[in-house]
Amino acid sequence: MRRARREAEVAEVIVDRVACTAHGVCAVMSDGAVELDEFGYPIQSRLTLPPEEARVLVEACPARALLFRRPT
Amino acid sequence: MTFLWYVSRATGVISIVLMTTVMVLGMFLSGARRSVGSRTTIVQSVHRSLALGMLVFLVLHIATAIIDTYVHINVVAAVLPFASSYRRFAVGLGALGADIVAAVVVTSLLRRRISERVWRLVHRSSFVMWPLTLWHGISMSTGNEPLLRFTTIGCGVIGTAAVLWRLAGTHHDSARRREVLRQEWT
Amino acid sequence: MSLTDLLDEAGLTGRGGAMFPTSVKLRAAFDNRAELIVNACDGEVGTHKDALVVAEHLRELEHGAGLVARKVHWAAHRGSDTEDRLLEAGLRVLSVPARYVASEESALVSLLHGGLARPVMRHEPIARGGRDSQGHRLRPTLVLNAETVWRISQIAQYGPGRFRGFGTPDEPGPRLVTIGGSVERPGVYDTAAGVPMRELLTAAGAFEVGAVGIGGLSGGWLSAGDAWSVAWSNAALAPHGLRTGTGAIHVLERSACPLQYVTRLARFAAGESAGQCGPCMFGVPAVATQVAQLADGALAYDEFALLQQRLRLLPGRGACRYPDGIAGFISSALRTFRADVEAHLAGACVAMKERAGAAR
Repeated sequence: MRRARREAEVAEVIVDRVACTAHGVCAVMSDGAVELDEFGYPIQSRLTLPPEEARVLVEACPARALLFRRPT
Repeated sequence: MTFLWYVSRATGVISIVLMTTVMVLGMFLSGARRSVGSRTTIVQSVHRSLALGMLVFLVLHIATAIIDTYVHINVVAAVLPFASSYRRFAVGLGALGADIVAAVVVTSLLRRRISERVWRLVHRSSFVMWPLTLWHGISMSTGNEPLLRFTTIGCGVIGTAAVLWRLAGTHHDSARRREVLRQEWT
Repeated sequence: MSLTDLLDEAGLTGRGGAMFPTSVKLRAAFDNRAELIVNACDGEVGTHKDALVVAEHLRELEHGAGLVARKVHWAAHRGSDTEDRLLEAGLRVLSVPARYVASEESALVSLLHGGLARPVMRHEPIARGGRDSQGHRLRPTLVLNAETVWRISQIAQYGPGRFRGFGTPDEPGPRLVTIGGSVERPGVYDTAAGVPMRELLTAAGAFEVGAVGIGGLSGGWLSAGDAWSVAWSNAALAPHGLRTGTGAIHVLERSACPLQYVTRLARFAAGESAGQCGPCMFGVPAVATQVAQLADGALAYDEFALLQQRLRLLPGRGACRYPDGIAGFISSALRTFRADVEAHLAGACVAMKERAGAAR
């Protein structure tokens, strides 16, 4: 029971590559969890984060290029 | 109750100053030449919170204009453009501007639930809202109050400079996208 | 027995390169009443099999397509003979700009719905429908390669048993390959997985084999030695990091500098990015520029490390698999032609020297 709850306490965030326009906000807001390549685009394609951090990160993206991915 | 009329004029000019600041910051975000994540993060958070902060003054401006009895502007005239019996056109410009502000704020709060295309379209209507509001401000703050008028005109000058800066800008991402889009894709 | 069960039993996989089980795609399509796009673009570099299927087996193709969907669209490159043939047959043709990524599955679906022929960021299979980057709705659409549709017709007609009589148990069924480059008889050949590469090369009259490209721009390279000894199947090619893909086979002659050839394709690739995803629209041109410098003997050792770093960062970071394919293709070339790479980094071209020596 406890374990099941803990599993629900992570959220997965994915990058919409077409929407991403290299503002670089995710790298600043994620405390280094997102790194940028030489052109300014995130290297990671998905992140697993506590839901609250994930929500803040998703809302911070100026291009709306970060999306929640429902756990499968 | 002429006191409320003065409060209305003061909050009106504060709204214009804040709105111009929000606009300038927004153009700085969308027109940045280079990606500097830390700067963008700060500018964006100020852009977003200041926009909500402006709402307080705008609501106060409209509410006091309605409640005060010095001039007659009713609720309908404050919401429906060009429905005011008092200075139909100048008040109407303000009402129209306020309606667009409401649309921009609502779509931004609902951004994750609506399509990006709709959000962008509504957000871009700010470029119409802003001059309308300035026009409203300049024509309302008639002659007797140079401070209000020159503040508004100053906002116009700064905002226009920002628009020109925004239009002249190129960012490597948008430049490359445009370049490839010119090729045959249909 | 239903069509999907038949295809399951036959073990048919997509002949457009992805080799995904056709029955699985078909079930999703039936569930969503998807329309069908028959992809006869031959979009992969060095592949001409779809053109042959349309030219010689159009009746069977139409039969196969009719089994899959009520509404069928026929995708072909604009200005190609295949497009003319489909138009002459009175079919509903989707005229596709003749570019590499335009015939990718989701790009075709986008084009069909009035959008641009550019890949779409998908969060679920396109057979269930979706939205393009502008937010326009895309109806559920199934995209099948022309050869795949032809095979469906054959399986429905002659049964899965006969189909399984070709190939290996894991990779059953007849296959079409396109052989080109340094061969006397370039063209499309009937074969099946498991055939020795030697047989294919001999049949096409390969000469002066320096190396063999497998699977076009989304594939990679075999050294001449490997090419003569390996079998043509996914299982046998896997240790070399390769797949049969669309069945393209390109023989590179021994006297040619392989890096010059790779540069030509890398430059082409740089111009084919759809300009939608940052890592691709900047990464692919950056890589191509460095490959060209390498071929010119103008790439320093430390810059070579940057090239490899850029190649590592291409895969998995796009709406489609285009950057993955390019990175695989160039990485494979750098591995297979290691001796040439070393020589070029030292500022010399082995092939050029040999050619100059032979000329004297």
